[in-house]
Amino acid sequence: MVEPIYIVASGLGIAFLLGLFRKTGESLPGLIMLLTLAFMTFVSGQWLISLMFEGGTPQYTYTAGFKPPFSINLLMGQSEAVITTMVNGVGLLGGLYLLDRLKAQGVNSMIVFLLLFVGLNVVVMTRDLFNLFVFLEVSSVAIVGLVLLERSTQSLSAGFKYLLATALISGILLIGIILIYQYAGSLYIDDLVRANLTAVKGGMVAVFLILIAVALELKPFPANGWGLDLYQGAHPGLGALVSGGFATAMVFVLYKLLPMAGGGWQYMMATLGAVTFIGSNLLGIKQGHAKRLLGYSSVGQIGLLMIVVGLSQHLGEALTAIACGLLVSHFLAKSGLFWLAGIIQKDGLRDWAVLRKKPFLLVLFGTFIFALVGFPPFPSFFAKWELIMQLSAAEGFAWAGIVLFGSLLEGIYLFRWLGYSIKLDHQELPSFRLPWQKILPVGISGVALYILGYFATPIASGAGSLSYLPLAFIVLVFLLDFLPARVKNVLSLAGMAFYGYMIMPGLYENDGLRFLFSIIFVIGGILTLLPGFAYTGKRRGFYPAALLMFAGLGQLLTAETLLQFFFAWELMTVGSYILIIRGKRSMRHGYTYMLFSVGGAFLMLAGFGIAYATSGMTSLEALGQVTQWAGWASALIAIGFMTKTATLGLHIWLPGAHAEAESDVSPMVSAILLKAGVFGLLLLFISMGAESAGSKPLFYVLGWLGAITALIANLTAVFQEDAKRLLAYSSIGQLGYILFAFAIMTHVGWLAGFTYTINHFMYKAILFLVVGGIVMRLKTHNMYEMGGLIKRMPYSFIAVLIGIIALSGLPPLSGFAGKWLFYNAGIEKGWYLQGGVVFFSGIIAFLYLYRLIHSVFLGQLKDRHRTVKEISPWFLVPAYVLILGIMAFSANPEWFLKPFGQITAPYFPDSQLTWQSDGTAVGQLGYWNGTQVMAIVMALFVAITLWLIMLNRNAKKVKQFNIVYAAESPETPETTHISYNLYAGYNKALGVLTRPGITGLWNWISEAVTELADQVRRIYSGNGQTYVLHVLTYVVIVYLITTGGL
Amino acid sequence: MEQIGLSHIAITTGILLILTGLWGILTQKNIIKMIIGFSLFDTGIHIVMVGVGYVEGKTAPILDEAVQLKEAARQIVDPLPQAMVLTAIVIGIGITALMLAYALRLYQKNKTLDIQKFNDLKW
Amino acid sequence: MLKKIFTAAVIVAFAIILLKGYGFSGPDQQLNEVAERYAEKGPEEVGAANLVTAVIVTYRGLDTLGEVTILFLTASIIGFFLKTRREDLTAPPQVRKTSEILSTASRIISPIIFLFGAYVFINGHLTPGGGFQGGAIVASGLVLMLLANPLKTVNHKIISVVESISGISFVLLGVLGLVLAAGFLDNAFIGPGRFGSLISAGAIPIIYIFIGLKVGSELSGIVSNLQETQKEEI
Repeated sequence: MVEPIYIVASGLGIAFLLGLFRKTGESLPGLIMLLTLAFMTFVSGQWLISLMFEGGTPQYTYTAGFKPPFSINLLMGQSEAVITTMVNGVGLLGGLYLLDRLKAQGVNSMIVFLLLFVGLNVVVMTRDLFNLFVFLEVSSVAIVGLVLLERSTQSLSAGFKYLLATALISGILLIGIILIYQYAGSLYIDDLVRANLTAVKGGMVAVFLILIAVALELKPFPANGWGLDLYQGAHPGLGALVSGGFATAMVFVLYKLLPMAGGGWQYMMATLGAVTFIGSNLLGIKQGHAKRLLGYSSVGQIGLLMIVVGLSQHLGEALTAIACGLLVSHFLAKSGLFWLAGIIQKDGLRDWAVLRKKPFLLVLFGTFIFALVGFPPFPSFFAKWELIMQLSAAEGFAWAGIVLFGSLLEGIYLFRWLGYSIKLDHQELPSFRLPWQKILPVGISGVALYILGYFATPIASGAGSLSYLPLAFIVLVFLLDFLPARVKNVLSLAGMAFYGYMIMPGLYENDGLRFLFSIIFVIGGILTLLPGFAYTGKRRGFYPAALLMFAGLGQLLTAETLLQFFFAWELMTVGSYILIIRGKRSMRHGYTYMLFSVGGAFLMLAGFGIAYATSGMTSLEALGQVTQWAGWASALIAIGFMTKTATLGLHIWLPGAHAEAESDVSPMVSAILLKAGVFGLLLLFISMGAESAGSKPLFYVLGWLGAITALIANLTAVFQEDAKRLLAYSSIGQLGYILFAFAIMTHVGWLAGFTYTINHFMYKAILFLVVGGIVMRLKTHNMYEMGGLIKRMPYSFIAVLIGIIALSGLPPLSGFAGKWLFYNAGIEKGWYLQGGVVFFSGIIAFLYLYRLIHSVFLGQLKDRHRTVKEISPWFLVPAYVLILGIMAFSANPEWFLKPFGQITAPYFPDSQLTWQSDGTAVGQLGYWNGTQVMAIVMALFVAITLWLIMLNRNAKKVKQFNIVYAAESPETPETTHISYNLYAGYNKALGVLTRPGITGLWNWISEAVTELADQVRRIYSGNGQTYVLHVLTYVVIVYLITTGGL
Repeated sequence: MEQIGLSHIAITTGILLILTGLWGILTQKNIIKMIIGFSLFDTGIHIVMVGVGYVEGKTAPILDEAVQLKEAARQIVDPLPQAMVLTAIVIGIGITALMLAYALRLYQKNKTLDIQKFNDLKW
Repeated sequence: MLKKIFTAAVIVAFAIILLKGYGFSGPDQQLNEVAERYAEKGPEEVGAANLVTAVIVTYRGLDTLGEVTILFLTASIIGFFLKTRREDLTAPPQVRKTSEILSTASRIISPIIFLFGAYVFINGHLTPGGGFQGGAIVASGLVLMLLANPLKTVNHKIISVVESISGISFVLLGVLGLVLAAGFLDNAFIGPGRFGSLISAGAIPIIYIFIGLKVGSELSGIVSNLQETQKEEI
């Protein structure tokens, strides 16, 4: 084992040695520098392994062998090993990354680089306050020196501002140190912690000065203009070092020194962190400069860590894991992002679209963004989860709220940025150079995030046996992304089938509810993957994303703990986001979808926190054991799920996302993905129980929400010109029905809900498949540009016809079963008014369904579509399979409804629906036999058809243009076509209900937030003197708040 | 506070220097004057440090004819702040030199030393 | 104006904080535990008559290493920051002639200053002074020379070799302490010698010589770099 002191000795010695190489050229010194950094990393890594895994004991190093407080001592304990390994690691990778820069600037710059890391190592290890100061200065001075790797006026002025501010801060620190020495007679940190200095009047000031100086080194908002300018002005390679190395070490220093102060001070530190986390992320929203934005994000993340360190007393044993998880994610992601910034050399966020030229860089970029916001499978996900759980357990709900709100703000700008890089239209995308030594560090950071995420899983309470098998398969598919789409499609189908084989039999045995959803998720997944064969080329990125979504959906069903559920939920979100944003004009929609998803997920997380806190359980049963604040927990979780089911108010992401998605993605996200929200709501409803006093008002509200959603969405669907948008609004409406039905919370209500769920899955998949297929053929979404397609696409016509009959709820198809149960349940429950609203919206549905079939298939065929072919069989086949399903369901509803009844029975044993032996359902209000209805309608249909054929025997066949046709022209312009604005009259009467008031509200909120950010950020005037004044004012104000007066 | 001791004078002077230095840093527009302000600020801190280590009526911590080896603990002032102040002074020199180098380059680039002119990075 | 009033208010508030922190409880009447131990055990453990030196070089040797590092760092930064490009030096700079007194005196005094500096760092463990002070004195000699003859170019090669060799030696001596004696920077791997004489205090005089050389060369490097950059301007 190499003594820790050799980290310092080798770094210093080699730095001095490099002085001899000033005239010999730069290659050898560069190599020596990297080797030294590698050695330093090796030593600290060795200690890390020994202390973490082999039960090694911490090592003290005493200067000249004297014991503290008489000498300086260095400690290499577990946390020190972690931090120094991180710091040295970023040094090694950063050194490699900057090597060409350093060579250009000469050996002196390499010396400075090396000394930066010597300084940081000692800062981390030392247990002596003054020694800390000395080596902190070494690091600060080295940073100021490395600013000069870039010689613009901007970087010069940024460096000077940084120098001024840090000089003031270290002065304050020095005053604090000398005062501490005066009161404690020691500089040994352990002595100082024992001395309880805050009890002494002057000692309190001393402790304050030290802590505030450390806090200021962390660049707290708003006294951090100098830090932000440095991030913006300096070379991004330095940004990575400051953000990944210096900030990491300083957080640890804060952790080391904070015990000197009492409890109240720790809250103060957490508060400073909270202000920083929220403030900095808020300002990021308006920022358009990439490096400065990274600065804002860095500062914000450090704020989050200040919160964690400040609240350490409430986090108990989880503290280390949480802090390390957050720290390591931020460290890797942020250095990676800074390095990326240096590779593509674009300052504007919008210019990052160039990343598209190099898909693997784009993947890394996405990895970093998701890791920063805290998505699985990255360490930050588990750490954030545990943080929220522990904060909730300590009843620190306000803190949990702050953490989540700040994370949401961060998500706002990070996902916008990601969206730009994936999708933003860009005139020219210049290529850029990719030297290997710049790619390597970024790649290592990215890969390390995944690996560490895997190992970080046990951090989180209730991780249990979280299965990484599906993710491993997805990684495999991702690595095979160079293969043609067809091959990957076969592979994906095989994977899905195997997954279904693995999970479905077990669910069938044990859990009807989950088995039902597994049909939708797995079988539906297979059916909607089939159209993929219609695509040629590689479809890069499609399959990993789709599989990720399906893996998430599947794991929702197998989840046993809250964490596993949330993990699956977030995987699904990531996958579906990538799928959605693949659409041609989807940048904005994907972004909106992601924001609502993140917001919803955070609300859910808060609700889970309450559940965990009051039940003390990590399993999903915790939801049913909430003893306190049950209403809050249920409402938060319900809103979280309702962002996915697109309930009115939270729906604005859906129309665009579903309509603009690719043809085979729309059925996935509409027919299948939306059901995840339904499944979640069901879990919640079950655990809440129908009769508990707290839940009744909630169910009442949800019932109304469902009804109004159905009404407004259906009405909006009526006025759409875009076929896919029409279907999207229809989905919102249908999900409104489903919410309404389940909120009734009776046996029949739930039967209706299940019927609607499975029906919506089938007919919406059919409709989106067929319409998607048509869109692929015609290259337009607008219905008025279609028409008369019945001749060219008869099979599509039949499929759509059956789909809309099922959707409209007309007998004999299965939609009727839903309607019948629905009214039964509503009347039983006494929800007449809501039921009326739902009934009315059902009638409105006829209008848009008529429009769909009429405008697309009937009427006059357009000239340019005369030779158009039937849609691809790969779209038709799954549609017809589903039609078979609908037919079976319609003819023999008891096949399905009886199992639904069994599923429902445990929760609502008092069934009011009985089955007779011939398959007749008898409710309180009447009876219904699906088979008979089917038979009667079929007979009627056949009779009428025969009669019509008889009548038409004498009809004369004419060509299309051989008639005078009224009100419809197959020619352009389309806007004079009858199908255009078909329901103008209704629009006049009812259109006011569909005006996008809610979209307006959300827009207003987003504009208000952006404007606020723009106003606040003007405190950063760019004047170094003002920044110094900020620092001093910050000291005074925090002092006033902490002590309550001068 | 019975009488005005040596250390009181030192520390009061030190604090006054600190404040003067701060005033210079915060109000002077000329970068060189700001650097001078920093020097004052730094020097003030050093004086405070030495003042804190002072023990009433004792002598320098060097064991020669004036101080007996056995009696050392009762005859000398605290050597530790003196050691620290030496380190602090050297660090101060380093930072001041760096500031001056920056000032030089800033002047060469923009032909001005007005701190307000270097604000192209902001917001 | 408003800003100045605000600034003044902040500074006054800061002053109050400082005064509260100091407390004016009157000077200490006796040494604290740490200082007392230095006074009592220092001569025996370290062997340096100058206790400040004992603290600087041995007890808190790591601080000193850091301190040397900062100077080295600053010198390196200024070295690459102010590096003059050859093409900038085409026009010979015009300098006002220095006075006869200055140039004559510097020729006589400079060597004495250098000698004095060396004396100060060699005797750092016995008398007030030490490596830093000695080094600074050496550098001041160089400043005098440069004042007398602004066109003089300093040999950077020698400076940087001295600087590096002494830096490495300092670290190596520290490591020797670790290997041969109780810990990093322990001076006891060389016999203590007779207390109060030149050859005493173990490795301290050697370390101080290196520190003195290093500080002297670093400060000289900084000064001459700054001075050379000025030539560009004239």
